Amino acid sequence: MSAPSGAPKGVVTRLVQAVSLVTVFGLLYGAARLAPPLREHLGEIAAIGFLLLCGTLLSELLETIGLPHLSGYLLAGVVAGPHVLHLVDHHTVERLSPVNTLALALIAIAGGAELRVSMLKSVARSVAWALLLQCAIGLVVMALAFLAVSRWVPFARDLSIAPLIGVALLWGTLAVSRSPSACLAILSQTRAKGPVATFSLAFIMASDVVVVVLMAVVMTFARPLIAPDGSISFAAFQVVGHEILGSIATGTTLGLALAAYLRLVGKHLLVVLLALGLGLTEFMRYVHIDPLLSFLTAGFVVQNLSAQGEKLLHAVEQVGGIVFVVFFATAGAHLDIPLLQKLWPIALALCVVRGVTTWGTARLSSRVAGDGPLVRRWGWSGLISQAGLTLGLSVVIARSFPDFGEGFRSLVIAAVAINELIGPVLFKLALDRTGESNPEAIVARPSLSPVAVEGHPPD
Amino acid sequence: MSAVALLLGLLVLSYVGSMLVSDRTIRGFGLPSGAEYLLLGFVLGPHALGVLGRSLVSAFEPVLIVGVSWVALVLGVGYGQIGSRRLRLSRALSGIAFSAFVAAGVAGITFVALLEGSELGLAERLLVSGAAGAVSCETTRHAVRWVAERHGSRGELSELLADLSRTSVFVPAAVFGVLFAAAPGQELGATPVSLRVGITLGLGVVLGLVATLLLGREFRRDESWGILLGTSLLAIGVTARLGLSPIAAAFAMGLTVSTFSPHRADLKAMVAPSERPVMVPVAVLAGAYLDLEAAPFLWLLVGAAFAARLILDLLRAGVLALIVPQARAAGPALGLGLVPSSAFTLGCGLLAAIRIPGAVGGSVLVLAAASVLAGELIGPLSLRRALERAGDIVPGRPFEQPPPSIEPRASRTTLYDVERS
Repeated sequence: MSAPSGAPKGVVTRLVQAVSLVTVFGLLYGAARLAPPLREHLGEIAAIGFLLLCGTLLSELLETIGLPHLSGYLLAGVVAGPHVLHLVDHHTVERLSPVNTLALALIAIAGGAELRVSMLKSVARSVAWALLLQCAIGLVVMALAFLAVSRWVPFARDLSIAPLIGVALLWGTLAVSRSPSACLAILSQTRAKGPVATFSLAFIMASDVVVVVLMAVVMTFARPLIAPDGSISFAAFQVVGHEILGSIATGTTLGLALAAYLRLVGKHLLVVLLALGLGLTEFMRYVHIDPLLSFLTAGFVVQNLSAQGEKLLHAVEQVGGIVFVVFFATAGAHLDIPLLQKLWPIALALCVVRGVTTWGTARLSSRVAGDGPLVRRWGWSGLISQAGLTLGLSVVIARSFPDFGEGFRSLVIAAVAINELIGPVLFKLALDRTGESNPEAIVARPSLSPVAVEGHPPD
Repeated sequence: MSAVALLLGLLVLSYVGSMLVSDRTIRGFGLPSGAEYLLLGFVLGPHALGVLGRSLVSAFEPVLIVGVSWVALVLGVGYGQIGSRRLRLSRALSGIAFSAFVAAGVAGITFVALLEGSELGLAERLLVSGAAGAVSCETTRHAVRWVAERHGSRGELSELLADLSRTSVFVPAAVFGVLFAAAPGQELGATPVSLRVGITLGLGVVLGLVATLLLGREFRRDESWGILLGTSLLAIGVTARLGLSPIAAAFAMGLTVSTFSPHRADLKAMVAPSERPVMVPVAVLAGAYLDLEAAPFLWLLVGAAFAARLILDLLRAGVLALIVPQARAAGPALGLGLVPSSAFTLGCGLLAAIRIPGAVGGSVLVLAAASVLAGELIGPLSLRRALERAGDIVPGRPFEQPPPSIEPRASRTTLYDVERS
């Protein structure tokens, strides 16, 4: 995530960026004309370079019209991807998965390190009410919405009522998942400080855990509805319980070790983060521990049980500045445009309902929790984005219910594509409108401490 | 061993490598060429312990290509700058000429040797001998720095050697640009070799100009990393995909940035510390990649090339002695002191082995490894003796850091010291 640094850029700089972007596209286009193999397969190395360069340039250019950098990265991926210019093909996108693994680990560490206990206390009431109402109302409303449009959904139109309810519940659960990566990307770019930023971050990180548990619960109860011979099995809870507790325990240990390293050595953090993000993630998957939750816990422990939180955040931001561009651009290349063309009316309808529900529920939960006017008005804006977590859960559903899983996953991908494109724009708009964006900041954004919140005009 | 375990192992080695460039390391610790890591890789590789299988090492080929080419970029960015001073054009040209002289001589002698001792066709013989010349002509600046740091060498000859060693990398980068373009298996169809070389260099120059423009007038460190990585990976990736030389493209790009960017000193300080951490894992994988039975003519090639290099380096010292009085005092030891090669030479050999698999590439890699090892044995001691004779090393003189004009240790602001940057 390219963070703003220093003075605003003038017209000449923007012109240079535009010319460079055109040159890079032209260069690659010319090379592909000269060498047909390039058209078939650009290769991973060139793909990373191209996505990194074009993502950065496009994000800088889109910044001039107020769009977040994240949109630029996504757009670069979409344009270069297999469905538009074919510069980056499916095979290459798959081969870039280690970058995604690393990016997700960094996002989780940064997310955990952003959460201070004191900050959580300051927004605990708001977050608790929002979690309860968003999960409950969101799940029910989105399940009903799915039921309402099911006659136009290819894989659902022939289902009888019981399986249909089961599928609708699964849809409702996915609909209440959010995107920590998009939230952190926008906060990193805007250097936002204030109640909306604090609330959004705390809510999204907490909901990450809640949704994983909620999915296990819903899948347990949906299974007998979907499969006639299925029965309620609480074995899934055991698995989830083991995974969550194991992840927290591993994350705590890792966090303490990381804090000790930062204090005693504190150098060569790039290599350490690479080892954690690439190596340790694989190990955690092998022993069935959730890497995201573990890294989230590790970041949280470093921030709250040591004085090394800012150092860790700064290191992650520096490494992530490059990794996240490739991560989101790859996500853009992953977007299945033909599928979106096919399913967009249903996906859009469901996204609209989700957006309205999120907005209404946020207003309600803010009223109940007694939030200030800024959170009451804009607290919903960060909750629209969906990305990796939602897609990951859809893969789990597709594997668990092979009869309709692939069709279900396609619809999820289409809906996520819409939310992924719109959500970050809304969140940045909200942060700009509330005055929480701080684009002139030239130093790393301090974590969202209560002091930062208090320093802001009364909410 | 699994790919993840290997990756972690390489990261640990990279960590060790990055420790060696930080400011609290023991002065002169580690060999100038990184030959110890080459040996470690060989011991772990399929020909010794078998911990690293060939297929596993092959899975890391993209990493190797990027690693070696990145070092070429770093060398290109730092080309023409010795510490705080700019290299004089005359010195740069004579450094390139000396290096080209050795490369051409070694290529000629190995060509003749292979004429008798191998059944290679003309094209393959040209490839092997050309590559042999390219991996035999570099004098590593790390050896000069190593002696300077350990023994506090200062003086005219030390500066001359620093200049010659800094400029010598130009020749292998350029020769491999031609050889990769001429080697079979590239993806540009029936285009002439000259056009392929032009595409290689053109890509590097154009992307170097793009990087220079984007770096702008104000140096922004965080953005600079993204711009340099993006443009260089694009240049490296496209050339590698086309079967052209990513080393030449990256070096050309670095040279372009160094020539046109007003931030050349900042950029050099920014990227230079990444050289050692990148090269350590590359050296290990190169060791594992070695095939001592790559070709029947392998040992003939190694013997002929090394003998040729010794003779040509002694001749080179002789020419230097005619021009520089201090070199005259240094005697034949100066010629032997010019022998050590760096891990960059090894990287060039490794990419040749990847690009031209089989007898040609395999034998070039072994020659590069042999050149590095032999240079390590002979070079630093000879260099020390030569500098003592020339009066640049004075026994008993209190140790001081070498002047910036020799080639100081990389800037303290390292990529890895995130909190400082």
